Amino acid sequence: MTEVFDSLRKEIEAESLDSADAVDSFRIRYLSKKQGKITDLMKGIKDVSPGERGTYGQGVNELKTLANAKIKDAKTKLGSSASDQRDIDLSLPGRAPKMGSLHPITQTRHLINRVFESYGFTVEEGPEIEDDWHNFSALNFPADHPARDMQDTFFIEPTDLEHGGIMLRTHTSPVQIRTMKDGEPPFRIIAPGRVYRNESISYKSYCLFHQVEGLFVDEGVTMADLKQILHAFAQTIFGDDVQMRFRPSFFPFTEPSAEVDIWWNDESLPGGGRWLEILGCGMVHPNVLEAVDIDSEKYTGYAFGMGIDRIAMLRYGIDDIRILFENDERFLDQFA
Amino acid sequence: MKISANWLRDYVDHGLSIEELSDRLTMAGLEVEDVEQIGPRLDGIIVGEVLEVNPHPNADRLTLCSVNVGDGEPLSIVCGASNVAAGQKVPVATIGTILHLPSRTDDDALERIEIKKSKIRGEVSHGMICAENELGLSEDHTGIMVLDEGAIAGTSLEDYVSDKNVPLADTVIDIAITPNRPDAISHIGVARDVAAITGKELKSPSISISLDCKESTADFSVQIDAPAGCPTYAAILVKGVEIKESPVWMQQRLSAIGLRPRNNVVDITNYVMYEVGQPLHAFDFELLAGAKIIVRETSTETKFTTLDDVERELPIGTLMIADRDRDVAIAGVMGGQNSEVTADTKNVLIESAYFNPAQIRRTAKALQLQTEASYRFERGIDPTAQLRAAARAAELMAKFAGGEIDGCVNANPAPYEPRFATLRPERVSHVLGLVVPEDRIQSLLTSIGFNISSENGALKCEIPSFRPDVEREIDMIEEVARLVGYDAIPEPSRSAIPNHPVSISPQRQLREQVSNLLSSLGFKEVVTNSMLSREVAESFCDPILPGARFGGEVVDTLNPVSREMATLRPSVLPGVIRVAAHNLNRGRLSLKYFEFGNSQMRVHTEHSILENYTERECLLILSSGQHDLPGWDTSARVEDIFDLKGIAEVVLDSVHLPDVRFVPIYEASKVSTHHIDIYSGHERLGVLGQLTDSVTSAFDLRGDIFFLEVDWSSISEFSAPFLKKHYDAFSRHPVVDRDIAVTVSRSEAVGPMVKSIRDAGGELLVNVSVFDLYAGDQIDASLKSVAFAMTFAADRTLRDEEVDEEVTQIISSLEKNHGAKLRQ
Repeated sequence: MTEVFDSLRKEIEAESLDSADAVDSFRIRYLSKKQGKITDLMKGIKDVSPGERGTYGQGVNELKTLANAKIKDAKTKLGSSASDQRDIDLSLPGRAPKMGSLHPITQTRHLINRVFESYGFTVEEGPEIEDDWHNFSALNFPADHPARDMQDTFFIEPTDLEHGGIMLRTHTSPVQIRTMKDGEPPFRIIAPGRVYRNESISYKSYCLFHQVEGLFVDEGVTMADLKQILHAFAQTIFGDDVQMRFRPSFFPFTEPSAEVDIWWNDESLPGGGRWLEILGCGMVHPNVLEAVDIDSEKYTGYAFGMGIDRIAMLRYGIDDIRILFENDERFLDQFA
Repeated sequence: MKISANWLRDYVDHGLSIEELSDRLTMAGLEVEDVEQIGPRLDGIIVGEVLEVNPHPNADRLTLCSVNVGDGEPLSIVCGASNVAAGQKVPVATIGTILHLPSRTDDDALERIEIKKSKIRGEVSHGMICAENELGLSEDHTGIMVLDEGAIAGTSLEDYVSDKNVPLADTVIDIAITPNRPDAISHIGVARDVAAITGKELKSPSISISLDCKESTADFSVQIDAPAGCPTYAAILVKGVEIKESPVWMQQRLSAIGLRPRNNVVDITNYVMYEVGQPLHAFDFELLAGAKIIVRETSTETKFTTLDDVERELPIGTLMIADRDRDVAIAGVMGGQNSEVTADTKNVLIESAYFNPAQIRRTAKALQLQTEASYRFERGIDPTAQLRAAARAAELMAKFAGGEIDGCVNANPAPYEPRFATLRPERVSHVLGLVVPEDRIQSLLTSIGFNISSENGALKCEIPSFRPDVEREIDMIEEVARLVGYDAIPEPSRSAIPNHPVSISPQRQLREQVSNLLSSLGFKEVVTNSMLSREVAESFCDPILPGARFGGEVVDTLNPVSREMATLRPSVLPGVIRVAAHNLNRGRLSLKYFEFGNSQMRVHTEHSILENYTERECLLILSSGQHDLPGWDTSARVEDIFDLKGIAEVVLDSVHLPDVRFVPIYEASKVSTHHIDIYSGHERLGVLGQLTDSVTSAFDLRGDIFFLEVDWSSISEFSAPFLKKHYDAFSRHPVVDRDIAVTVSRSEAVGPMVKSIRDAGGELLVNVSVFDLYAGDQIDASLKSVAFAMTFAADRTLRDEEVDEEVTQIISSLEKNHGAKLRQ
């Protein structure tokens, strides 16, 4: 019995199906219901002893599969060379669904959030309209102090009222105040959000922008820890070999305060590049901790803040901040 | 604050290059923003004598000059200036000289050029005759510089100008002074830091006159009626001055830092201010009635003309300097026209006072007048420096204006009390993470003026009077840190984080989830300005919109940048409409956008964080234009409201908002022709609508514009309990599908019919959808046909009879409640 199967297999394998006619006659010779050789074998199963029928059926099926595969292969080969027989044009474009996109500010915010969340920071958010206490006083901006000129403020209610004025927040630091006021240390948060500055609109400044501020308050937090986390951050955003420097600066709510620059390569400049400021930071001023009833002897902390828009502009090479708010699709589509 | 490098060297011999100096200052907290070389660039320039001027054979505007430069043959030089003439003495740059010429493209930049033997329009030129601006002597480039006749050909121009009043070569360092460093708003202040970081000695100018002053002299008196505003007022009378130009070196220094020299008396007051940081004022003593100075506050609204000839309205409580009869200066801000020093002044009274910083700041703000004086006073000058500064100025006047120091008054009703603070050396490392030895801390603080003694293991520090910003321990830790250098603080290789959970708020989690969903569905996220004109803001105060649903007023800013950005948005809608118009007008056919943003209203609600203001985060989706563009086997289709309604269903479903209801409203509102209110339970959370024609045309749009705006703050709050996913065992038995078609009156709404089917279908009905809607020839004109596909399932195999029973009930409910008839 096996010899019959073997010889038929060899016969089938030896067939050359180089034309549609050959395929057709092959199909008739082996598989047609009336005279096909495999069909005949199939019909013969009734003469096989019941004990051998399983092996026999299996053998016939293998031959059938082989013959069918041969036909399919041959048809595929013939189809691709004979264009007149093609019934599908695979070169037609697909029906692509339209792509949307996330705004580059959002993408950058997500990236920054992700970096700090991976270091155990929780994201907190707060209102854009704030009172004087949360935006300034609790952050150690004394009334009638020139430090207030550092942030040109949009006022909603004048400063001579009892609450000291209602304004659009000039930074997301009020979120730190709200978080610390409502909880107990340790605090390890970042606060992303929209902030407002009353500045004339140009390629480098807009009346609003987006900021991420960070805060870590616990026992034993030092400026060395601050340098470490920001270095890790800068490496993630700007590459492992980022060169950065911390230089002394002033913010009322931190002391010591620093501005952080990264080295920006630019062959067109005399020194081959320049220092670019990317963020401000420092150790949380004890006056701020005390304003929210935290023991400034026991706890220390660091805080930092950066402009999401600015980081986005650096990352993507955008040279005019206004284009971020114009939302031209030719711009948006580049971030899909 | 501009610092002249030449001037700075008077006080500290730092031995640093400008680059090193800039870098060290920046890294010590005095950020150098700009470094500018100023003054003449005269290296290699010699005096030449023009012997002959001949026309250039090939160019009308050029001449061929023969120039004697001392030894050797006269040089042939091509010149383009029209003022060149034979017999002139001129500056000449010979071959090999390096010039730094003003750039033609950038006003502030210089281009380095080496003078070479060259052919200009066919004639050889052996040098260049220079204009003043080409040598850095002035901005003048109208023609070549013509020297005095006595200049000697062949000598260096540097020698020639040595006795002339020309700017000196100098480097101007522009430092950004932070508000905590009033001590550094002077050359000595910066020199003090330079001395501290280089370990060099600070050399202050010495004063030789006696400083023994009284409350009054025979000639004049000072009376302080407002001691809180003016605790110290020193005045020195210098008689018999001659008003003329100040010495050249002083003019050069003032010019270097951007001041225009005026006359010797005024220049000296400025010079001393930039030297030591004490603002001074010079009165013409003869114009002070009663030979008297009174410091007082205004008690009525007063008008006063300052020395810039502007009449100003002074608010009540403005600190003023007056004589016996009238006001003569706005204290700390600007002097008065009625007592200023003029060419005829003979006797000068020098004012050197300390004024209360907050009070000066309020005045300067109220008058919108910030001067060099008010800038320093409001930051806080040294409260002990008044007499010394007055004496320094008096001495310079005696020397350079020929005056005689006549009398000195030092009114000091509230003498300065030294201030102390304690520094624990171990606290330095506790904050910085860097151990600084105690003796190092002491020497660093001493170098910037602290007096330190040890007391019970801590350092008792007397704070220098010129550091009003230093109040407590942390301030001194900062001083130590910046002098040690932040670079010295090591980065730990590991640091601990607190053992507490990191959480994500539902509001942010769902925002990110839905942002990704919408962008996958073809919507582009936009970020728009949240400030609008008041008119636009008010026109979107439509109670159908989620932000305005609580009522109230729009929120105005008191000091807008412009009328167009004066008011906060009550809705995200107008900003996104603008985006649609922008892109439509640039040929985009399909407009699909979304934005998450806050709406702001002046109204008190349960959601108010700040009393009387309600701020809600809203999600805005806008769609318009082509839903499908024509493809090779598809036809174009225009977006309609059901596309956006479907998006709304998907979005709200994806966040598991419970009990969602869409309630159609067929009346027009302010912004929408008709709309669908979106509820969760009984709470209205948003709206789906279509812009009215008037809004559409007001924004230069066309076509149907659909929008969805929902209160994202509320949605995330309502959805939060349902965010936790869990598994329910599902039935593996086959489902049974049944379709029915009914005819109903054309006015019958389909939505309630679906609800009736759901209600009547009971537990076995798991899904119902509308798969056909027809009105036309096949049926009565008053009717429409609606076809529903229903799916039944249970945790067992359903029998046909039980499904039939449910279908019968559904049909009878449709008949009873909607007048429906089953289509056979």
